[in-house]
Amino acid sequence: MALNNSTNSNGANGKYAAEAHGLNIYYGAFQAVRDIRLQIERQKITALIGPSGCGKSTVLRAFNRMNDLIPVARTEGNVLFHGKNIYDPDVDAVEVRRRVGMVFQKPNPFPKSIYENIAWGAKINGYKGNLDDLVEESLRGAALWDEVKDKLKESGYSLSGGQQQRLCIARAIAIKPDIILMDEPCSALDPIATLRVEELMKELTEHYTIIIVTHNMQQAARVSDYTAFFTVKDDRTGYLEEFGVTKEMFTRPKSQVTEDYITGRFG
Amino acid sequence: MAVEKRPNGAFPQDEAYTGFVRKRRRVGTFFRTLFLLATVLGIVILALLVLDVANDAFGYVAVQNRIDPETLIDRYYKTQMLAMPRTLTSEDDVVLADGIAARPGAIGFFGLSYYQDRSEQLRALNIDGVAPTTDNAVSDDYLLGRPLFLYTSQGNLLRQPQVAAFVNFYLNNAAQVAEEVGYVNASAENLAEGLSQWERATSLTASTVDTLYPASGAIRVAGSSTVQPITQRMAERFQAELPFSGEFSIDGGGTLAGFQRLCRDQDIDLADASRAMERPDVAVCRNNKIEPLAFVVGADAITVAVSQQNDFLNGITREQLRQIFIFIGAERWNEVDPSWPDSAILRFIPGEDSGTLDFFVAQVFGDSLEELPKEDLLAILTANISAGRLRALNAERSLVDRAQEEMVELVLSEVVRPDVVESWSFTESLFNRDEIDAEVATIPNAVLEFKAWLNWDFITSPQSSNPTLAGIRTAILGSLWVTLIAFLVAVPLGVGAATYLEEYSKGSKLDGLIETNINNLAGVPSIIYGMLGLAVFVRYFGEITSGIAFGAADPSTGNGRTILSAGLTLGLLILPLVIINAREAIRAVPRAFREASYGLGATKWQTTWSHVLPNAIPGILTGVILSVSRAFGETAPLIVVGVSTFIVVDPSGPFSKFTTLPVQIFQWTSRPQEEFQRLAAAAILALLFLLLALNATAIYLRNRFKRNY
Ligand SMILES: Nc1ncnc2c1ncn2[C@@H]1O[C@H](COP(=O)(O)OP(=O)(O)OP(=O)(O)O)[C@@H](O)[C@H]1O
Ligand SMILES: [Mg+2]
Repeated sequence: MALNNSTNSNGANGKYAAEAHGLNIYYGAFQAVRDIRLQIERQKITALIGPSGCGKSTVLRAFNRMNDLIPVARTEGNVLFHGKNIYDPDVDAVEVRRRVGMVFQKPNPFPKSIYENIAWGAKINGYKGNLDDLVEESLRGAALWDEVKDKLKESGYSLSGGQQQRLCIARAIAIKPDIILMDEPCSALDPIATLRVEELMKELTEHYTIIIVTHNMQQAARVSDYTAFFTVKDDRTGYLEEFGVTKEMFTRPKSQVTEDYITGRFG
Repeated sequence: MAVEKRPNGAFPQDEAYTGFVRKRRRVGTFFRTLFLLATVLGIVILALLVLDVANDAFGYVAVQNRIDPETLIDRYYKTQMLAMPRTLTSEDDVVLADGIAARPGAIGFFGLSYYQDRSEQLRALNIDGVAPTTDNAVSDDYLLGRPLFLYTSQGNLLRQPQVAAFVNFYLNNAAQVAEEVGYVNASAENLAEGLSQWERATSLTASTVDTLYPASGAIRVAGSSTVQPITQRMAERFQAELPFSGEFSIDGGGTLAGFQRLCRDQDIDLADASRAMERPDVAVCRNNKIEPLAFVVGADAITVAVSQQNDFLNGITREQLRQIFIFIGAERWNEVDPSWPDSAILRFIPGEDSGTLDFFVAQVFGDSLEELPKEDLLAILTANISAGRLRALNAERSLVDRAQEEMVELVLSEVVRPDVVESWSFTESLFNRDEIDAEVATIPNAVLEFKAWLNWDFITSPQSSNPTLAGIRTAILGSLWVTLIAFLVAVPLGVGAATYLEEYSKGSKLDGLIETNINNLAGVPSIIYGMLGLAVFVRYFGEITSGIAFGAADPSTGNGRTILSAGLTLGLLILPLVIINAREAIRAVPRAFREASYGLGATKWQTTWSHVLPNAIPGILTGVILSVSRAFGETAPLIVVGVSTFIVVDPSGPFSKFTTLPVQIFQWTSRPQEEFQRLAAAAILALLFLLLALNATAIYLRNRFKRNY
């Protein structure tokens, strides 16, 4: 069975790009997150925030089965994508990752040319169109084209950190995923580069759904439409404390723990 | 440095702290120095090792020829000259001189004094513009002139008054005697210089020379038969004219024998010599604490003359002499020079046993093979090797088509057959030159040469039991073949296994077993691999490794002791090394590249192939370099597998017999003759250079891959 485009996770209106239900993730015997329920709205930015070690990255990586790469990791529960649980035995993780792209905390271009960095993903996924056009379109989409159009043959590592991160975003959007996962994409960047990436995220919502993990409250407040606040209790297992529209959560958090965290009295 | 005072007094403060820091620094300095010393020590030991090997691979050698090239050339041209038509030979110079004087078309040569007696009827020819005069004869200018010497030693003059008296008499009367016996007189200057040398040596003068008489005791002379007649005549006169009651003994034996008896055997008092002492001769004397003294007593100038009736010749060149006097040269005068008349050349030359003829041949035709024209070299070769060998050489490539240099090589290797009879290391050559000279002088017909044992011929020649001709081409080719096969086996298998273990292995029991096995295999002694190779590749799969299964067998290698068996064995030997290094390299590829790849929907294989392996290549190559170097240098397993001990045929493919460079070195070092030790040293250097070249290439490749980052 393939992940079908036509069926939506919540029926005909297609409000949600993905939904997690009863997600429990373990690293060996240790339970990292407990009973997570998240609904990711289409073409919106959802921010995952919370103190260090509460399982944000773990949850994020559950959306494209990146946790499969960690031998000790085990996932329980469902992640619905187009109405299909991506953890069903008949779903191939490779296919999931092609549809749910990812941008990592540290920029990690391939040690290849800028051009190849973008073209490679398309090639391995059987892209039949014009590669040059795709590269240009993706770089424009990542707001990088003007800076690199004259040096496409140069190594991806010849770029600055911020440019590298945008190259990684371009690489992610080149394979036309539905969702882009970003794990602290700006943590290695200076404020100006951060701003550029944030603007870019806004622009990207025209076509893509974005889930972002961030430690930066201002960033969450600035860019996200929805915010999920995770935290831990004494057992160190993460859980979802509060989830809602960003504006509301930052102005009128429902839970005391959330308020403490947002205002900086916690963590 | 001022450190702010802290309320917590548990940390050292102020001075105490500064001292504490200094102490910690000292520990660092100590270890840094220790490591530096270790590094320097390592480098120094390595350099010493290489130097020690190089010391053996370069130095003087004493070469003894089966036939001396000079003799060979001399014999060839003499035969040619004597076989010429219209050639009259005579041992008597008078016959020659008179014969030429009577005929306008004649040309010939003889001693200068015979010309001087007949200058009315004869015309002496300038050779290359130099006239045969008394002065020119003793200098080097005239092609056919040479001074004649009498040698003695300071000690002889001092200890034996009769010898001192005879030398004094000799020098005073040489002016007449030389001419009496058919030579040119020494110049007045030469004789005067001889006398003053005599005076310095004896501390006597012309007025005190009488104190030496009456003389008695033996006077023993030996040496050059050219000079002997002068000495003989001198002795007769000395006995007749002066109060001498002793005995003369005058032997021939040749110049060299004279020098050796004078200095080494010390059984003569005077040596006749037709050439000056050379370095080795002097060395023998010095080694025996003898200071040789040389006196010029005459000169030998061979004169090329024509009749006064000849109206076209005044001078002649060396080249024209060659054409006139040898068989393949000219028959008529105008063939030598078109302006000369069209009449037959009549030749008058000394007979076969004449020293004059020998000297003429050596001077005119040269005494080194390199100077000879190709045709003459071919004739010399033909005359001196068997018909069968000649056919074999012609079958290789027609001799007529070969270049002059090649012919020189052939004559050297087929006829002259130089043989190294004694050799010295570089340091010995540098510091013990005199002793070496002395030793060489005692070996008959030996010449001293500086030899780089490591030279191009050595690298390109096949193995041989003659150390002078032996080379390492067969061994190098064998090594390259075996290493190539080991490489082809070990690298794909090893990198494949490493990839499996690193990227695919799930850590099952079986995987664990494989892993432990590989780590242990890396520590197994190489000879065990040799036994494995012998049992499996040579014995069990003999049909395949000898090529019989493919119908490609070399009949001599039907037993499986082939390059293929050896290559497979060494391949197994280095496999664990390749795996362990490749695993390290694969493990070192940053996780981020893998995550990025998977994040784009790549499969495991795509990730491995496009990102993991390319980024691991530099590290994998490092392991491959180490492993291949190891395979290249292995000896023990190859000996077990059955490397050929003596083989002169180049390997032609994986089913050939073979030997390798390290095995070759091992064999040479186990031979008693010193020459083989030198060959081994040269081969070690070649091995080092080859390894260096292989590694440099691999490192260059590795760096190219690295630059992609
Ligand atoms: N590979 C792993 N093996 C074992 N435990 C892990 C592994 N990765 C994460 N964990 C544990 O899971 C918990 C959640 O980790 P996670 O990386 O998701 O936290 P996070 O919220 O992203 O933290 P941070 O904000 O510091 O990135 C932590 O307690 C961590 O120790
Ligand atoms: Mg994280």
